[in-house]
Amino acid sequence: MIRRSSLPISRRAALTALGAGAALTLLFPRTRSLHAAPVPAKYFIGVYMPHGMAREFWVPKSGFNIAYAGSSLAPFDDAATYGRSFRDQIVALEGLDLTAGLRSSTVGHDASRVILTGSGTNGQNASIDQFLAIEQGLGQATPLSSLVLGVGSAAPALQWCISYAKGGTALPKIIDPLATFNHAFGQFLVDPDPAAVARAAREQRLGKSLLDYWTTDLAELGARAPQAERDKLDQHATALRDLEKRVVGQTVTCKVPAAPNSTQFPSVGSYQGGEPYFDLITNLQIDLMVQALACDVTRVSTLFLADLSRTHFDSGLPEDVHTDVAHRYASPGRNGMGGSDAASQARLARQNHYTYAKIARILQRLSEAGLLEQTVLVAMSDMGDPAKHSSRQVPTLLAGGWGGALRGGRHIDLGPNGTPSNRLLVSVQQAFGVESNSYGQSTDASILSGSLDLT
Amino acid sequence: MGCALFALCASCGGSAEPATDSGPPEQSLAPALRRLSTAELEASAETMLGTVTGLSAALPPDARQSDYSRNVAQSVDSLLLGQLFDASRSTAENLDLSLPQFPSCARTALASDRACAESTVKMLSNTAFRRAPSAREVEQLLGLFTIGAEGADFNSGVALVVRALLGSPKFLYATTLGAATPGATRLSNEELGSELSLLISGQPPDEELRLAAARGELDSGVERERQSLRLLHTWQARHLYRRFVQEWLGLVGLEGLAKSSQVITGFPELRTAMVDETNQFVDDVFSLQAGSVSALLAGGYDIVPDALAGFYGIQPTSPGPGARVDLTGLGRVGILQQASFLATFAHESESAPVLRGKAVLTRLMCLDFPKPTDLGVDIVFPPADPNATTRERYDRHATDGACRGCHATLDGVGFLFENFDAAGKLRTSESGRPIDTSGSVQLDGQQLALGDSMALSSALAKSEQVRQCAARQVVRFAAGKTDALVEQAFVDSLKSKSPERRGTFLGLFLEFVKSDWFAWRKPQ
Repeated sequence: MIRRSSLPISRRAALTALGAGAALTLLFPRTRSLHAAPVPAKYFIGVYMPHGMAREFWVPKSGFNIAYAGSSLAPFDDAATYGRSFRDQIVALEGLDLTAGLRSSTVGHDASRVILTGSGTNGQNASIDQFLAIEQGLGQATPLSSLVLGVGSAAPALQWCISYAKGGTALPKIIDPLATFNHAFGQFLVDPDPAAVARAAREQRLGKSLLDYWTTDLAELGARAPQAERDKLDQHATALRDLEKRVVGQTVTCKVPAAPNSTQFPSVGSYQGGEPYFDLITNLQIDLMVQALACDVTRVSTLFLADLSRTHFDSGLPEDVHTDVAHRYASPGRNGMGGSDAASQARLARQNHYTYAKIARILQRLSEAGLLEQTVLVAMSDMGDPAKHSSRQVPTLLAGGWGGALRGGRHIDLGPNGTPSNRLLVSVQQAFGVESNSYGQSTDASILSGSLDLT
Repeated sequence: MGCALFALCASCGGSAEPATDSGPPEQSLAPALRRLSTAELEASAETMLGTVTGLSAALPPDARQSDYSRNVAQSVDSLLLGQLFDASRSTAENLDLSLPQFPSCARTALASDRACAESTVKMLSNTAFRRAPSAREVEQLLGLFTIGAEGADFNSGVALVVRALLGSPKFLYATTLGAATPGATRLSNEELGSELSLLISGQPPDEELRLAAARGELDSGVERERQSLRLLHTWQARHLYRRFVQEWLGLVGLEGLAKSSQVITGFPELRTAMVDETNQFVDDVFSLQAGSVSALLAGGYDIVPDALAGFYGIQPTSPGPGARVDLTGLGRVGILQQASFLATFAHESESAPVLRGKAVLTRLMCLDFPKPTDLGVDIVFPPADPNATTRERYDRHATDGACRGCHATLDGVGFLFENFDAAGKLRTSESGRPIDTSGSVQLDGQQLALGDSMALSSALAKSEQVRQCAARQVVRFAAGKTDALVEQAFVDSLKSKSPERRGTFLGLFLEFVKSDWFAWRKPQ
């Protein structure tokens, strides 16, 4: 867990900034991505949803009706709660398999690794968020290359991550909203006290000296390192560049969000007492994430909603959602195999509805910030049928305008045979102007190529 | 650890050991940069500065590979580096230059005292780099000292040097790159010292080891063993082996688990006591029995914290805190019957024969099993049935041909633990029906029918297959990755060793450290 005492911004300083008004003006240049090709889409958000999906209450009815009784997608057509309907900004994409995982024994809970990488446990490529941010330069001009967030579990472990660096290393997540605030906005808080200004100037000078020293050290190490370790050193170099942006100081004009009041969430970890606060924590993480996009602090973010069991947010669900809802789901699925229990399907749909309500909140915030049309949002679970731990037929939500590369308000059914999810990742990169027709790694190269017709 | 270590040392004294290593082995590990685990980073920072830093809690958690946090997959990402930058600044703001980690001149030195600054820089970088710094490196650090002290004081100069060292790639990465020789790479003298110290004690090398490394004495496997025996006496080594056992057996997962209130209340507090129990037990076995595999599995005793006594159904503090108690009458003969293992490998509301069986078969016997989806099998969780025992609900595994292949093995071991519920509490019945703990295991080529998990532990404790798996686990921990060829070569090399060596973890660690697999790497 992230230790609060190590946070860079003192509570007093944060409060001082807030006292100066939430409209505190911060400045940094809005620089275009260095990517050579035109970039229609500008922001990427990836969301992991736990517990699979109850297809019975996910498939839209005729006329893209997603507001029927029990529909888990209903939050996207709920203007009363979210300010407007997002029915026309979403696509319910059916028929994807996490095929790269199926080809490499990366299935069940492990398949979360496949969602954005399009590769299994032995894959060396970055997830699409890091590919865009680092390799395609989408994060080069912003203070943070990317913002990797989670709720519940910070561990960079196989079953708990969707963001992977080039080389195949899972990236840790920030699960404490106060840490998210400090990471994304702390560098822009300015204490107007002259002594504080002098301290900041000195710290900047010292920070530059440290960066010079570490960069030299890393280069010396790189000169001796074997080829197999280059990805590791490249990642370190990227981290130094991110730190340099922070040390050198950049400016931006935006509305600074309020620092979260951490007394409202005294614990943040799964099974460490954090469960009662997960709803609030999720909301705060979402609001901070979108605000970071709005301030151009970053253009790439992922959110891993860890096992949201035992939260008691829905009194109609059992205490242990994982075991008593997801594992008890009984559905014949599209192939007619397996039992059928309507009550179990309705229970899982209620949990899905809860998670989709959080994604609706993301869309609401994006809309309020005027970012929705330029955003590519992909939300996916690691399973379709969670009782079978099946990585096949994983219902997927696409949202945002994708810079014109997505025509919303549709249910796209790719059929029961299982379309490789790599094609979705190809379409994502193409929305950002990357002219490549494949994504991911697999011993079965046939699954890597091709895109989806989303327009 | 005195008695046990003396026995280990005595056991090797009679054999003719080469004065220097015998050259590159046929199978070698790949050269690597390994970012230290957060525990190693914290231990190194605290050794360097003499103060508690809390560094590991300030950093993102480690990635694990082959179950171990000490691994070559660790990296320096933006989040870690940013948090390290902040934490090291806080640490540097609270330096105590009166501690013995600093030269005595540092207490009163002025910012202009270059000689004292140089002494300080050398002392700090000796620890941070796990070797003596070069003259150029000292000059670079003195340059930073000057920048930090400018317009300030001596302490501020040292603070900037400390920040520089804590963020330096030379501090963050342990290298096994060596100096290339035709056909193979032998670790440099400094790398030998660094690797030995980090592997045996989780610490940077102390002065004695650094000097031995600089003199080239660690060329000798015998000298590496002698240094290892010395370091095993440190309290830091105790913490390292606690972590090794927790990660080997997967017990680190316990902190991320909950139990249904229908099974037990107050689990978070009990969880802490469960970890304490295992730590005390591991300390005892490593200190007094050199980490004997058989003692860990079937020592016939336990060390139970008071907070766990009621859970186990015994009186607290009897016969006294930290004392050994015999729980075999309550079905517990070793670490596999401790609540930490039983609760980790169980579901929230029910026992988990498959998880328990798999844990034993993969972690203690080093077997692999395909995932059901690899075989095209859809998982069907047994439905809840208040009138059936867990064992009865898992009957489908035995009748479904697609499942039986693996589950006859997995469940046969897992059922042996059925007298323990989801939290690890002893039970004699479930759903009003008596518990059946019979099961089986194929061990050392023999199919054994067993009555309960204590019988399993006793069999595992005597097993050659388990001893070989323990050796493989030591290689995985040391290498920071799985390398089947080196593991097999190391296992083969142990056939001629004494039971004290082959059957104890400390013996296995010593054998690995003195071996050529420790000292050599593949050519780049």
